[in-house]
Amino acid sequence: MIIDIPLIIDSIPKMLMGFGLTIQLLFLSGVLGLVLAIVLLLMRISGRWYLAAPTMVYIYVFRGTPILVQIFIVYHGLPQLEFVRESIFWPILREPFGCAIVALTLNTGAYVSEILRGGVLGVDRGLKEAASALGLSARHRFIYITTPIAIRLALPAYSNDVISLLKSTALASTITLLDMMGIARNIVAATYAPYEVFVSLMVIYLVLTWMIQRSFGLIEGRMSRYVKEQA
Amino acid sequence: MDVITGWWDDFFWGSVVVVEVFVVALIMTVLFGLIGAAAKLSRSRVAKYIASGYTVVFRGTPEILILLLVYFGSAVALTAVSQTFDPEVKFTDIPPFWAGAFAIALIVGSYATETFRGAFLGVDPGQIEAARALGLSSLQTLVYVRIPAMWRLALPPFGNHMLSLIKDTALIAIIGLQETLFVAEQAIGTTGKPFTMYILVGVIYLGFSTIITLTVMVLERYANRHLEAAR
Amino acid sequence: MSGNGQQPIIVLEDVCKFFGDFQALKNVNLTVKKGERVVVCGPSGSGKSTMIRCINRLEEHDSGRIIVDGRELTGKIKDINAVRREVGMVFQSFNLFPHLSVIQNLMLAPKLVRKKSKAEARERAMHLLERVRIPEQADKWPSQLSGGQQQRVAIARALCMNPEVMLFDEPTSALDPEMISEVLDVMVDLAEDGMTMIVVTHEMGFARKVADLVVFMDGGEIVESNPPDEFFEAPKSERTKRFLSQILSH
Repeated sequence: MIIDIPLIIDSIPKMLMGFGLTIQLLFLSGVLGLVLAIVLLLMRISGRWYLAAPTMVYIYVFRGTPILVQIFIVYHGLPQLEFVRESIFWPILREPFGCAIVALTLNTGAYVSEILRGGVLGVDRGLKEAASALGLSARHRFIYITTPIAIRLALPAYSNDVISLLKSTALASTITLLDMMGIARNIVAATYAPYEVFVSLMVIYLVLTWMIQRSFGLIEGRMSRYVKEQA
Repeated sequence: MDVITGWWDDFFWGSVVVVEVFVVALIMTVLFGLIGAAAKLSRSRVAKYIASGYTVVFRGTPEILILLLVYFGSAVALTAVSQTFDPEVKFTDIPPFWAGAFAIALIVGSYATETFRGAFLGVDPGQIEAARALGLSSLQTLVYVRIPAMWRLALPPFGNHMLSLIKDTALIAIIGLQETLFVAEQAIGTTGKPFTMYILVGVIYLGFSTIITLTVMVLERYANRHLEAAR
Repeated sequence: MSGNGQQPIIVLEDVCKFFGDFQALKNVNLTVKKGERVVVCGPSGSGKSTMIRCINRLEEHDSGRIIVDGRELTGKIKDINAVRREVGMVFQSFNLFPHLSVIQNLMLAPKLVRKKSKAEARERAMHLLERVRIPEQADKWPSQLSGGQQQRVAIARALCMNPEVMLFDEPTSALDPEMISEVLDVMVDLAEDGMTMIVVTHEMGFARKVADLVVFMDGGEIVESNPPDEFFEAPKSERTKRFLSQILSH
């Protein structure tokens, strides 16, 4: 079997035209998802059952169902409901891009809030006690002691989630969006050359993944400069 | 709600397919994970290299891309091969069930490789020393000391792998597997109620996730019963 | 050597504390006068840590009264925060904030709680670092310091808040033997300067040198409390005698 090099050379720029869309999906959902995650986290650890309980249900549902199904519900399913069609959100929810952002945000928000919660729980109890003993209020303790340490603890898991988010953006191709994956599928449908096209695309994603990991590695290194090296 | 009547048994059989794919993929996942971990822990540079390549590629590439590559890639190869025997053949493929199970097992297997490797390294070296000092052979140490310690350490992350596995089965609908998502699409064709149908699919998957989570909880309690007794 | 005022600064009256079914404190009565140095000793699980942790409300007592500097400790946040400003605590595991430098560790609470300016806080912090004899470590991370140095920083951090009373919860138990004396020296200095202190410890040499009162706790109760001469030479209770023979025989 000969590999069709000209096809590869031809396809890569075409797929890279979808790069912008992929990145938009990644950044927008990532940022909005992070904001959502922080809100969910604060609700979850608030100690008030009427805030914590709905949050726990939300996280449970969004982590327990496939993201593809979530995307379909938002894009194909919501238009069935009249109140959605008549709401102010309709312009966003009518478009596949808007639906993809909504679904990805809701999904990543659930995962990231659990990651942040893991960071918060990982802060040594003794440090919080020392802060209490010094007279710091609960608010001060959370801002100056818990948060910086929790962020450092959560960073590795968060970087994994960002990579998961990148991979999930490829599912936008199932709702007609022409991100890199979408373009690739079109090319394959036309040329019957899955190896050349898909493997090249795989390489592109791997490069992106590597870049994300490197960036987080640098951030983690900076944040951990006060941690003693394990001899 | 009554739109669903008439579709109940289709969804039921779709769910059965999900379970079948899950079980098959689970077995393959454990296999790939163990082989991968063994390779990473071995002394052979080649084995480590290949295993690292495996984990990097399959953790950094979108699942849908792997799925399409495996399915269409194998189909193209198979078609070419069968055409040498019978030029009339237009298209042969590996049934979506097997292609899909194999693809998602490869993906989750790459995560399982890291989990099993970590679990192996996490075994307290003191216990191994004690076993050796008592005169146990390598094999006995493996069976009676290493493995019992390992599966306890691997259980919580492996529970997450199982959740990933069951959610990934939804993707296989894209290549035509007649599981619940696929059934939903057909149902929507006749009933025109996408929201209802996709929510039903979500509920079914949530049910599966819950069963897996509960099972893992029970197993964890069993695994740690020797610690409970010490209280 | 004895308390330089007769006013009680800490009073525990019939204090009881339960952890589930287990009673950790059984009718504990203790009065500490201003300027007094109290050493609390006893076997593990005797309730000594629990008792001092109740004084700054890191644990909540279930019955009885705790009065610190005239203020009764109840569930009210206002009272709790007021007490914590006046009571400093040093922990067995130091609990320095790892993400802040040594000097930042010292400056944090005075700036946030006592609303000191950065300059004031820094001046006081450097002064105290000199007092605990490690001013050159000011800009290092806690993880770069030895155990003994970290604990001295922890003492300085508590002192930066100008507390009326200092509580020490087994301050040297987590240290390697060669570092214990540098911390005890700092504590002795503090005592000689007149700081009111309650120290939970096994270091009997320190007790003999510095304590006005030695309290022996066992099974959640105060079994005996006497000035050190009496305590060590003529212990009254059997349990005290047994404990002393166990720890002094090495």
